[in-house]
Amino acid sequence: MPSYSARQRKSTIVMALCLMATLIGVVWLFLILFSLLINGLPGLSLATFTEMTPPPGSHAGGLLNAIYGSVVMTIFGVGIGAPIGVLAGTYLAEYGRHSKVTPVIRFINDILLSAPSIIIGLFIYGAVVVPMRSFSAVAGSIALAVIVIPVVVRTTEDMLLLVPNTLREAASALGLPRSYVIRKVTYRAARAGLITGILLAVARVGGETAPLLFTVLSNQFWSANLLKPMANLPVTINNFINNPDANWKHLAWTGALLITVAVLSLNISARFFGASKDGQ
Amino acid sequence: MSTADETMQAIPHVAKQQRARVLLGMALGDKVFALATQVAAYLVLLVLAGIILSLIVGAWPAMKAFGFEFLITRRWAPQLEPEPVLGALAPIYGTLVSSFIAMLIAVPFGLGIAIFLTELCPHRLRKPVRLAIELLAGIPSIIYGMWGFFVLGPFLANYIEPSLVAAFANIPVLNSIFSGEMVSNLSLFNASLILAIMILPFITAIAVDVFSTVPPVLKEAAYGIGCTTWEVVNNVVLPFTRVGVVGGVMLALGRALGETMAVTFIIGNSFKISGSIFAPSTTISAAIASEFAESSGLHQSALILLGLLLFVLTFFVLATARFMLMRLEKRAGA
Amino acid sequence: MLEKITVKDLKFYYGANLALKGINIPLYANKVTAFIGPSGCGKSTLLRVLNRMYDLYPGQHAEGQILFDGRNILEPGEDLNLLRSRIGMVFQKPTPFPMTIYDNIAFGLKLYENLSKSELDGRVEDALKRAALWTEVKDKLGANGLSLSGGQQQRLCIARTVAIKPEVILFDEPCSALDPISTAKIEELIDELKHEYTIAIVTHNMQQAARVSEHTAFMYLGELVEFDETSKIFTSPRDQRTQDYITGRFG
Repeated sequence: MPSYSARQRKSTIVMALCLMATLIGVVWLFLILFSLLINGLPGLSLATFTEMTPPPGSHAGGLLNAIYGSVVMTIFGVGIGAPIGVLAGTYLAEYGRHSKVTPVIRFINDILLSAPSIIIGLFIYGAVVVPMRSFSAVAGSIALAVIVIPVVVRTTEDMLLLVPNTLREAASALGLPRSYVIRKVTYRAARAGLITGILLAVARVGGETAPLLFTVLSNQFWSANLLKPMANLPVTINNFINNPDANWKHLAWTGALLITVAVLSLNISARFFGASKDGQ
Repeated sequence: MSTADETMQAIPHVAKQQRARVLLGMALGDKVFALATQVAAYLVLLVLAGIILSLIVGAWPAMKAFGFEFLITRRWAPQLEPEPVLGALAPIYGTLVSSFIAMLIAVPFGLGIAIFLTELCPHRLRKPVRLAIELLAGIPSIIYGMWGFFVLGPFLANYIEPSLVAAFANIPVLNSIFSGEMVSNLSLFNASLILAIMILPFITAIAVDVFSTVPPVLKEAAYGIGCTTWEVVNNVVLPFTRVGVVGGVMLALGRALGETMAVTFIIGNSFKISGSIFAPSTTISAAIASEFAESSGLHQSALILLGLLLFVLTFFVLATARFMLMRLEKRAGA
Repeated sequence: MLEKITVKDLKFYYGANLALKGINIPLYANKVTAFIGPSGCGKSTLLRVLNRMYDLYPGQHAEGQILFDGRNILEPGEDLNLLRSRIGMVFQKPTPFPMTIYDNIAFGLKLYENLSKSELDGRVEDALKRAALWTEVKDKLGANGLSLSGGQQQRLCIARTVAIKPEVILFDEPCSALDPISTAKIEELIDELKHEYTIAIVTHNMQQAARVSEHTAFMYLGELVEFDETSKIFTSPRDQRTQDYITGRFG
């Protein structure tokens, strides 16, 4: 057996490597944020939020229609997906806790949770766009909803399972019907966790691009018609960045900065929101 | 005594009937809610069925036209007259190789970070470090794509790749893998590196989680007999958590295989299979993302067939991952 | 004495495991009945059969009869919610709902009765007074129920139970998580409550059983060993096992 000092030296070397890995790992976040700020901040102005996406070759313009479209589709996507996710999570944690189907549903849900989002795009293209014969904001919202559902199912189930059974028994002991126990007591006890899950879902779909590419397409102009293609930030960035037009490129960076700041703030606030309640 | 009891019960009796009526009124809502949760839960299964069904329906023409040949054909010529020739070999190759290289980079880094976080890191730094790593998972894929395209790609092509090419120039085999003929901003290697950064938070998060399932008493016992930190990690923590770590790695692999936007930006979207990792390539998801909107007919069907292949591939990888993580959970719970 | 509840040949199973082996016991109206016995003897299980709490879990079932005002509540068609609103339960650990003190009590009430705001206020106050909590919380009814001390939380749970006017209250080791002063308050309260309710209490604490109950049942390994007036159980038990338990030889 090697001497203690040799073993100690080996351990120190490995731990130093781990430290280096950590430093290298941490640096990416800051490098990416730095690039976004350098390239995105100069283009940021009031016009970004008040003017439409410009035609190529112009000098002005903003991202109003794209921001509007992203907000609308995120709201619809989460509005459709979150309630379904909460209900399904409720089944897994409450009514179906001892059912034989529950592990199967949980397993499938976990797989959908990590499934490639472009596959969801293909699915909605086949299931919504083709039958409707048009790219539309509705199709995009449904695609986002399909991504939201597994995220919310997972967090809902996890959070409801954390609620102690004694609380359910106490509420049942008052004679409350099961749905009352769940909606008025269990949900309330798990509220912070449920909201965290929904915030994370918003953050997840807020920047999704792949499933929108061939469901909503995008739109150069203002459109509030949900049955028509609608401008949205990710696809606008995708289209603008690949174009030699300098103004478009600037707008794309600004849009990228906006999306990243929004998504990361949502992530951070979701964490703090979840953590602050855990301490209670 | 009995008369007194009757008077005492007279009031509850009326209340009881009223209460029974109230509860009866709520019974329907109670049933509807229970049913709604069940329907929602089964919807998850329906989504899976819908995905598979719609992919199969969309891919059917291509399956009929190309059959098994699709998997082993290198050529991708959607515009060819009279009949397009479409084969999946190049995107399958690109998908597997880029994910493989990404794992090669990300797994040691992710495990190293997890070891640092669980064994070495001062308590006050743990949260911020974890946050900085985990927020990487929150950054949208398209941002990685832009950043890789404009920042990382040029940097690698100008500074890193030439020196790697020079370093391996005289070593057989390796000099063709690290061939300098086509170094550019767009390459398989660049895509792999971006993928590695993107999956790093998943590996780290799961590794930290599974490392913390090691009962402290096991580690204390090892430290107690004079083991060094590395010996404890290598002989106690890693063997105890092996299943979970492999599960986490598979989960990250599932992510890498299907990652789309970031890869689409920087892999170069070339359907040529090159031995060099510095050459442009493509992946299944990049091919779909860049060609689907302008495709039609057999070309579109072939892209959907690619999607089906990707889904089947990720499904099995993710299923294996979940299965292994479940095994660990069971053991930790027991 | 009127038998509010009569348990007849009750057998209870956790899966295939027989946990109660044929119990026969009455609960007398407006009296306190205490259940004592070592851990795992089935006393808490018996309590959870009385309001059919076990129905929340699969694989558990009961055989025999439990007559509540003469009706067998083990019959399949029994409305469990109505039953549980008539047979209240207070648990081992205080379980306030994650809402304000006021809502903790008003919540169940609002469900069952259509009350005006002032009627509701009155009922909440009345319930808190019955639970001897009113003076301590009357100025902070809007505070979260979880902000109270353990003993106060337990009295809040009692208030919540009495607010919906049950006929029977089951106490499942209500003081095991409380300090002696809070325990004394709960015991006083139980003494008050028996004037209006029929009470069953499971306890590990034999002094407590002696202090609060008129009748005591000693259970052992799923069987009812002995049931009698409390004074008799503690002074001249008929069964050797009861004798051994109350003198502290096991349990």
